[in-house]
Amino acid sequence: MIEVSGLTKRYVGHTAVDDVSFSVKKGEIVGFLGPNGAGKSTTIKMLTCYLTPTAGTATIDGLDVERDSIQVRRRIGYMPENVPLYLDMRVSEYLRFRGALKGLGGRKLTAAVDEAMEICSLVDVQRKIIGTLSKGYRQRVGLADALVHKPELLILDEPTNGLDPQQIRLFRDLIKDLGKRHTIFLSTHILPEVEMTCNRVLIINRGKLRASDTPKNLVRRRRQGGEVVVDIKADASAASQAIQALKGVTDVETEGVDGDWARLAISSKGKADLTERIHDLAVDQSWKIRELVQRDATLEDAFVDLVRKDGVSK
Amino acid sequence: MRTWWIIYLKELRSFFLSPLAFIVMALFTFLNGWLFIGVVSAMREKAMPYSLVYQLFGSGWFWMGFFILFPLITMRLFAEEKKMGTFEGLMTAPVRTIEVLLGKYSAAVTVYLAMIVPLLLFFPIFKMITEQEGAYNAGALWGSIIGLILIGAFNTAIGTLASAMTSNQLIAAMLTFVGVMLHYFFGFFSSLTTVADSRWNALLNYFSTPVHMRYLSEGLIDSRPIVYYLSFSLFLLAITYHLIESRKWTV
Ligand SMILES: Nc1ncnc2c1ncn2[C@@H]1O[C@H](COP(=O)(O)OP(=O)(O)OP(=O)(O)O)[C@@H](O)[C@H]1O
Ligand SMILES: [Mg+2]
Repeated sequence: MIEVSGLTKRYVGHTAVDDVSFSVKKGEIVGFLGPNGAGKSTTIKMLTCYLTPTAGTATIDGLDVERDSIQVRRRIGYMPENVPLYLDMRVSEYLRFRGALKGLGGRKLTAAVDEAMEICSLVDVQRKIIGTLSKGYRQRVGLADALVHKPELLILDEPTNGLDPQQIRLFRDLIKDLGKRHTIFLSTHILPEVEMTCNRVLIINRGKLRASDTPKNLVRRRRQGGEVVVDIKADASAASQAIQALKGVTDVETEGVDGDWARLAISSKGKADLTERIHDLAVDQSWKIRELVQRDATLEDAFVDLVRKDGVSK
Repeated sequence: MRTWWIIYLKELRSFFLSPLAFIVMALFTFLNGWLFIGVVSAMREKAMPYSLVYQLFGSGWFWMGFFILFPLITMRLFAEEKKMGTFEGLMTAPVRTIEVLLGKYSAAVTVYLAMIVPLLLFFPIFKMITEQEGAYNAGALWGSIIGLILIGAFNTAIGTLASAMTSNQLIAAMLTFVGVMLHYFFGFFSSLTTVADSRWNALLNYFSTPVHMRYLSEGLIDSRPIVYYLSFSLFLLAITYHLIESRKWTV
């Protein structure tokens, strides 16, 4: 569906997107992840024909974004970052305008607008002026706009940015559902979102593509060692020293002290199961334990690791 | 063509649904009505060698209104969309840049025409009420209408270009104000000066709005101003087109 090769965008003084290559297959939901200023939006703007690449090529459904620009745009439903909308229009009126621009007309247009409003739960507010809507509703108008012409590919730039947790969950479910009918390429900062909705993650930092894998693999690849958290009734520094001396422990960090209780995070090398050893040690020292867990590495850890390696862009 | 029409309607709609449209229209009509009365009463004082149409459009006051009118009509066209970010949504829809440009431009020209219709109605109304057959002749009125359309198309093109240059409506309005005014005053002063060499005079007059209107409002329809305004409007629109396209290559 998307085929990107050597894509580069240079602004004066710096390269926003640097020799990026990847592909997205039909039916995939791909998350495009990266810190602020990594080049996500710039990449997306090139895919949607808003900007022209400095070098490299991108094709959508085999069509070149430069040469077959109009054809490409017909196949894409795009929701830009921050969801710009005409605030003086009514919801249904706006969607009719957008649908018409995308080539729909007559009864087909009416049906498409109704369906998009249905999918995005906008039927109740269809007569409202967009400027009076809350952020959550505006975001849905943006999404309805993106899918009104039933494009094969949806490109969403930070679709859940600025939403409250409940709205984020609603949006996530919506996107998952849309994934059954569309190929989806979405950029985001919210890692759990990617883990829950995406089949595959692309991580970009300082304009360079750092990883392309399933969320599971990314986490697994990172997790040579794990982390154990223990909450014990003991002096924090003494306990840290004792635990540090255990075999396989690389680092002990005090996460917090609550009265007599100390909460320690212990990192290890290798696959050694530390919980058992720590338990034995606690019994030995007669520390009381109120929590002892193996904490799984998250996509966030993988992400932070990858990004930290080459620093964060300005 | 279809896209052009969709954008044209959308632009007209957003203009006429804003209170600005009616304020501008009321103000413009009021000012011109006032001017019209002034011209009529001047003609009552003493006999004038010129027609009512010629008197009105020959008046510098009439053109002052234009300096304000065009900035107000055109400032939103691109600047607002750029500021709001809707420009990105617009240009990533399957639309051709030329359709967007012409849709917006022709909507602005339409708004302008709607603004001058009340003014043009003054003349037949005046004739009807006063039964002064000699106030002006049809040729003078038609010539003036052609002039107003051409000059309007040209000034709207100045405003369209200015609006595409910035994302700030105020700056767009100021650029248009300056552009329209400079063009008018260049023509105004060049029409006053007489250079010894008449070839120079002819050249200066070629650019002069007051000179064009003087002839047109006498009913002398010449192809030179027509070619002048159309070709320069087209030239300004071509620059605007390339300006819009150039965003893709931002460095
Ligand atoms: N028009 C421009 N001119 C110059 N530099 C730009 C321009 N647009 C973006 N940049 C720079 O390009 C880099 C990438 O920006 P981009 O918007 O693609 O990042 P992003 O990954 O979308 O970030 P965010 O998560 O904040 O949205 C940034 O350093 C930004 O400052
Ligand atoms: Mg971005």
